[in-house]
Amino acid sequence: MKAAALLFAYSLRRARTVVITTGLLLAALQLVLIFVAGQLHSTGAFDQLSALLPPFARELLGPSFAVVLSFGGIVCLGYFELAVMGALIALAVTLATIPASEVESGFMDLILARPLARHWVITRTILLTTLVTAILLGLMVAGTWSGLQMFAPQGVEWPAAKLVNSLAVNLGMLTLCWGGVAMAIGAASSRRSVAGGAAGLLALATFLLDYVARLWQPAEKIAWLSPFRYYNPFDLIMGNPLPLKNLAVLGAIAAAGFAASYVLFARRDISH
Amino acid sequence: MAPLSIRNLSKRYGDVRAVNNLSLDLIEGEILGFLGLNGAGKTTTIRILLDLLRPNSGRAMILGHDCQSDGLRARRNIGYLPGEMGIYSDLTGREVLDLLSRIGGHVVDKARRSELQERLEFPDSDLRRRLREYSTGMKRKLGLIQAFQSDPLLLILDEPTEGLDPLMQESFYQLLVNVKQRGRTVFMSSHVLSEVDRVCDRIALVRKGEMVLLSNVEELRKLAARPVRVLFSEDVPATESLPPGTAAIQMSPRSWNLNVEGPLGPLLRAIATLPVRDIEIAEAKLEDVILKYYREGAPMGKR
Repeated sequence: MKAAALLFAYSLRRARTVVITTGLLLAALQLVLIFVAGQLHSTGAFDQLSALLPPFARELLGPSFAVVLSFGGIVCLGYFELAVMGALIALAVTLATIPASEVESGFMDLILARPLARHWVITRTILLTTLVTAILLGLMVAGTWSGLQMFAPQGVEWPAAKLVNSLAVNLGMLTLCWGGVAMAIGAASSRRSVAGGAAGLLALATFLLDYVARLWQPAEKIAWLSPFRYYNPFDLIMGNPLPLKNLAVLGAIAAAGFAASYVLFARRDISH
Repeated sequence: MAPLSIRNLSKRYGDVRAVNNLSLDLIEGEILGFLGLNGAGKTTTIRILLDLLRPNSGRAMILGHDCQSDGLRARRNIGYLPGEMGIYSDLTGREVLDLLSRIGGHVVDKARRSELQERLEFPDSDLRRRLREYSTGMKRKLGLIQAFQSDPLLLILDEPTEGLDPLMQESFYQLLVNVKQRGRTVFMSSHVLSEVDRVCDRIALVRKGEMVLLSNVEELRKLAARPVRVLFSEDVPATESLPPGTAAIQMSPRSWNLNVEGPLGPLLRAIATLPVRDIEIAEAKLEDVILKYYREGAPMGKR
C-alpha cells in the first residue's frame, strides 16, 4: 500500500507540469470566453448575429442555436468546444497509458522486481486519471465563476450553477470513459504509441459516428455505440436535467475499461 | 533452503522454446554465473524469477517462496539489476535510488549507499544530476547501487559489467567478493567468460533454452586442456605415439607444443628418456571448455 502510494505520488509529480499548464489554459479560456460574451452582450451583437441568419438556417440549427447565441450559451461553450474536449481526452489517454509507457521504457521491470503487486500499478493509474480529470474540470469551473465575477455585464443572467456543474460532470465522465478504454488497451500493450494511437483513433471514429448520426438518419441506428452520444451539452443548456442514463453508460464503460485493465495487466507477460 | 531453486521451468513463445525444462539450485553464499549466447534464454529465465514473465510449466522458488504464486514474498529480499536501466530521464540519481528503495519497502541506508558510491566512484554531485545527463557507464553504476543498496540476500544481475570501463569492472568484482563474504548469494548472467572465470564459484550454461552444463568452476578448469611446451637440448624426431589426453599442436626438432587434458604424469613419463631442456606449462583456460559447450552438437549434461 505504501509502495503504491509512493508510485502514485511519483507519477503525479511527473505529470504536474502538464496538468497545471493544461488546467490554467482551460481556466484562462473560460475567462476569455466570458469576457467576449460580455462584450457581445453589451453591444447587442447577439441579436444582430441572430438576425443575420436566414430563417431556414435558424430552423435547421434548431432552438439550441438561439440558446447558444446568448451570454449564457457562450459562457458554457468551453464545456463542449471541440479543442477542450480533445485536450481533456488526449490527456486522459496519455495518463491511462502510463503502464504501457513504463513497460516500454523498462521502468516496470524495476518496480515490479520489488514486492509490489501488479494491481497497484493499475490502481495508481486509475486514481491519477480520475484525480487529474477532476482537477482540470475543477479549474474550468473555477475559471467560469471567476470570469463571471470579473467580466459579466450588470443585469445579465448568469448560467445556473446546476447547469455548469452538470456540464462539468458529464464532460468529466466522458473523459474518464476514454481513460478507461485507453487503459484497457494500454494494459495489454508494450508500446504507449500503439495504445494511445488505438484509443485516439477509436475516439475519433466514434465522434464522427455521433456527428454523422446527428445529420444523417440511417446512422442513428448504430449511434448508441458512440460514447459521445451520452454527452449532449445542448440539451443541458436548453434546461433539460442531466440524464442519469448518460452518466451510467459512460461510467459503465470507464469501469469496464478499468476492470479489463486489472485482468489484462495481471495476466500478461511484461516484456519490452 | 536454497536461495534460488528452479524446477523443470519452461517458457514458450509459439513454437519457440525460450526456456526448456530448466532445473537449478543455488547454494547459499555462492556466485553462480549463468552463461549463454544471445537468445539462449538467460534473460527470459531471470524475468520468470521476477514474475515479469509467466512460465508455461515448472516453477521457481526464491528463499522458499514461489516466484509466481507467492511473488511478493519472493521478491522481498532480492536486488535486481536489469540488462537496461529503464528510468525516466527527468529524475535525479538520488530520486531514483530513494524511489526504488522505498517501493522495495526499505528504509534508505545512507551508510550503505555511501559505501557503494565510494566503491563505484559515484560522488554525490553525480547523484544530484538528472539522468538525461548520465553516460551509459553512469547509468550502469546507478543500476548497481540500486540493486545492492538494500543489502539483499539474493542478487539477480543481468549482464552487470555491460557498459562499465575496466576500472569499474574491477571495482564491481571487489564488490562481489564483499557481498559473498557477507554470505549473500549472487545469480548473474554474463557472456564474458574471463569475468565468470574470475568471480564465479559455479557456472550454469544454457543453450537454446536448455541447460547444457552445470559445474564448479575449479572442476571445470581441470577439464580444460593445458598448453604445454617442451623444449629439447638436442634435436628430437616428431612422434605420433603421445599418451592419451595429449594432442600435438606443433612439433619441431627442438620444441613440441602440446595440449594436455587431465594429469601431466603420462606425458612426463613419455618424455622422461628424451633430452628435455625445459617444460613450460600454461594455466588451463576455462573459455576453451565453455566454448565447446556453446557450439552445436556438444554433449548436454551436468557435471
